[in-house]
Amino acid sequence: MNELLLQGLVNGIVVGLIYALIGVSLNVIFGVLRVVNFAHGEFIVLGAYGAYFAQQLLGLSPLLAMPLVFLVFGLIGYGLYFLLVQRLSRSNDPEHASLLVMFGLSLVLGALMLLAFEADSRSLNFSLEPPFLMFGNVILPTTKLLGLGVSVVITGCLAYFLYRTMPGKALRAIIMNRDAIQIVGVDLNHLSALTFGLGLGLAGITGIIVSMIFPSFSPFIGQDYTLIGFIVIVLGGLGHPIGAVAGGILFGLAEQTAMVFFSGTVAMLLGFVLLIAVILIRPAGLFGVQNLR
Amino acid sequence: MSDETRETRIEAQNPLSASQKNPEKTSHIKSLIWGGVVTLIILAFLPVPLFTTNLSFMFYMMLWLTMATSFNFVAGMAGYMPFGYVAFYGIGAYATGVLYKTFGLPIPIALAGAAAAGVAIGLLLAPTLRLKGVYFGIVSLALAMAMKLIISLMPAKITGGSLGLILSGANDPTMAYYAMFIVLLGALAAGTWLSMSRLGIALRAIRDDREAAEVVGVNVVRTRLKAWVMATMFPSLVGGVEAWYTNAIDLESSFNLLVTAKSIVYAMAGGLGFLVGPIVGASALYGIDQLIWRHFPTLNLLILGVVIIALMLLLPRGIVGAFAQRFSRFRRFIP
Amino acid sequence: MLKVDQLVKTFGGMTALAGISLTVPDRSILGVLGMNGSGKTTMLNCINGIYEATAGEISLDGVSLIGKAPHAVFSEGVGRTFQVPRIFPQMSLLENLAVALLNKGLSNAQVAEISAHWLNKVELYRLRHNYAEELSGGQQKLLELARIMVANPKLVLLDEPFAGVNPSLALLLIGIIREMPQEVGCSVMLVSHDLTSVYELSDNILVMHEGHVLAEGNAEAIQKNPDVIEAYLGA
Ligand SMILES: Nc1ncnc2c1ncn2[C@@H]1O[C@H](COP(=O)(O)OP(=O)(O)O)[C@@H](O)[C@H]1O
Ligand SMILES: [Mg+2]
Repeated sequence: MNELLLQGLVNGIVVGLIYALIGVSLNVIFGVLRVVNFAHGEFIVLGAYGAYFAQQLLGLSPLLAMPLVFLVFGLIGYGLYFLLVQRLSRSNDPEHASLLVMFGLSLVLGALMLLAFEADSRSLNFSLEPPFLMFGNVILPTTKLLGLGVSVVITGCLAYFLYRTMPGKALRAIIMNRDAIQIVGVDLNHLSALTFGLGLGLAGITGIIVSMIFPSFSPFIGQDYTLIGFIVIVLGGLGHPIGAVAGGILFGLAEQTAMVFFSGTVAMLLGFVLLIAVILIRPAGLFGVQNLR
Repeated sequence: MSDETRETRIEAQNPLSASQKNPEKTSHIKSLIWGGVVTLIILAFLPVPLFTTNLSFMFYMMLWLTMATSFNFVAGMAGYMPFGYVAFYGIGAYATGVLYKTFGLPIPIALAGAAAAGVAIGLLLAPTLRLKGVYFGIVSLALAMAMKLIISLMPAKITGGSLGLILSGANDPTMAYYAMFIVLLGALAAGTWLSMSRLGIALRAIRDDREAAEVVGVNVVRTRLKAWVMATMFPSLVGGVEAWYTNAIDLESSFNLLVTAKSIVYAMAGGLGFLVGPIVGASALYGIDQLIWRHFPTLNLLILGVVIIALMLLLPRGIVGAFAQRFSRFRRFIP
Repeated sequence: MLKVDQLVKTFGGMTALAGISLTVPDRSILGVLGMNGSGKTTMLNCINGIYEATAGEISLDGVSLIGKAPHAVFSEGVGRTFQVPRIFPQMSLLENLAVALLNKGLSNAQVAEISAHWLNKVELYRLRHNYAEELSGGQQKLLELARIMVANPKLVLLDEPFAGVNPSLALLLIGIIREMPQEVGCSVMLVSHDLTSVYELSDNILVMHEGHVLAEGNAEAIQKNPDVIEAYLGA
């Protein structure tokens, strides 16, 4: 029993970091643009397909596909900002308007993937030598370890970017006070488009990690990831990058340990219970600021 | 814009508006228009079973009219965007099915139970009404998915498990059709009452500026709770009546996010905040939706998504809203 | 009478109000001057319950307002306007006023009568069925004022009532504010940048500076106060 629990905790950290990545990219987008990216899950799935086709067509390993997917998704995000997001800021209720537009985009992307890739699930042809490591009785597949490593590195890079570099600090400044930044004379449009690109690029990379770790993916699972992302950012605090990391790991741990003792459905439900508890006790999320209520 | 130019604009425009001389006529004309619309709806739907046995098209049209109208209570009048709206539809369907099939109660009582279940869940979720803006929307979505999980975890003896429930023995499409008709009339009546009552004024004030409403004495939480309870009752009834009409209930279709999506699209295409908005929107788009659905089922979702994006970018206030903006002196006549 | 005692408000590490004390006697006008960021709006937000005060006491006629939600403070008889007018744009002027009268237990006829009275006063009666968003910025400020006046408040808090208002509407506004204490019987806290109108209208003036009270007194005393001259009027 103890090994099982330990196994669950380890899985929880691996999965939790993926959730954290989803949450951080959602939160960066929300924090800067006030856009809740309802289509995030679809971009994650697209990232997984990206890795799949990079492997099938170009013979690229998923790790090598990462910079490529990041770049491509980043460019798409940069363009989509000007196509969809920018003009929403003039609407009476930009937050709801953006939520709906992104919801529409998620339907479109889901349907397009279904048309292009068909409904059956795919899996990446990816394995490492040795396939797993044993720590006592805890089995650790090396692909998961690699995924864990990549997630940590990317979260680290992102943290460095946000807290140590000038553009990152500018982003956080916008998150904290959108009015002030306009006075300082930063090109808000350019920065916003870059942020959206960054968010989608991260979603793409998340998708690759997902394709490495989970056995298969299909066009249908996008909304599940979006939902997970939503739970994570509500747990951690809307618009709070570090909060999302904590929220993701917390949710991953809860889900995976519950999986050890109960079914997958109960594990998922536990996530929702966690969400409700946080809303009731700390409506702004674990790390959020008060005025989100 | 400087004050001067705006003031001259107002000065210049006002003498033009016909109602200026007799403003009290305004609300009279408005009620007449609304009365006409309701009469039209009654005439269009009431006699259908006399002419044909193929009720499906008109039945689902009433269904979406009701869903969009009651969605407007929360989204248009209270300013919430409940993405988990489908939860109430699903709960209504399951409550009806379980009460009828598992507990052997007659359909009318099962439907009453569905409404009660919807309102009860609505009250249970009342704490989320404190949440602001999109935050409410995404939490509501998460909770809808949680409801689905909870029902899937209930014993199959009660809910039919993954097979769902078949309501054999309840088959009576004509009665179900009229039940939906009554629910639709109920939703229209509730909308009429909301738009005239003090509750309606408080709701619209909150929608326009929540903090300003609070500052002039509106108790935001209590006001929103009332609208919320009203808005949860109708989708539950709709879900129940639909279950009766089709005689089948299953988790995937009862909790399909598309139910929310279509309610949003129809209500928004018409124009949130106007009584006639959801009616115009549902009437305009429902036929198109059916055509696409019949001929290109795979494209349905794609087109729905494109329509949502296009609406938000090009016609954010909907058909009626755009009309009201363009011809602002007629706006006061639009119910 | 409004009594504010040692009011403190901090945001994180930043102290916006560092112990403000003041009183507004019945039927009087207190002018509040101060540079941008000196804490004037924050003080109004604390009084009417939008912000929770960090420390200190606020009471109206002996009833504490601390911990009361904005709608409850309004029921105690405190009305307030905003620096940038916050009307209900998608509602008619009459409906805008009706919102403030919802919980007063009045009949429709009474609501109509009171609304007509105040819309006439702010010269917007002929536009009563127009949507509020059709008004100019200055007219919106007048509507916002009418909206609190219909509820017959004991105290009104006016945040920069003259900002962005053209001169003719400003004159109308000044006339209305001037007669508030005697004709309506309410007291006024008038936060403004506009020195002349504050000097002209106020019975007593308070100058705020970085969350403190820099000076207090009548117009003449304030104009002569060396601290004010140095900090506010600029040396
Ligand atoms: N919600 C808030 N969060 C953080 N700081 C605030 C907030 N509201 C006001 N402040 C700060 O409090 C100070 C006083 O602001 P304010 O009361 O608006 O000044 P005034 O109205 O006198 O121009 C300013 O430094 C402002 O930045
Ligand atoms: Mg101010």
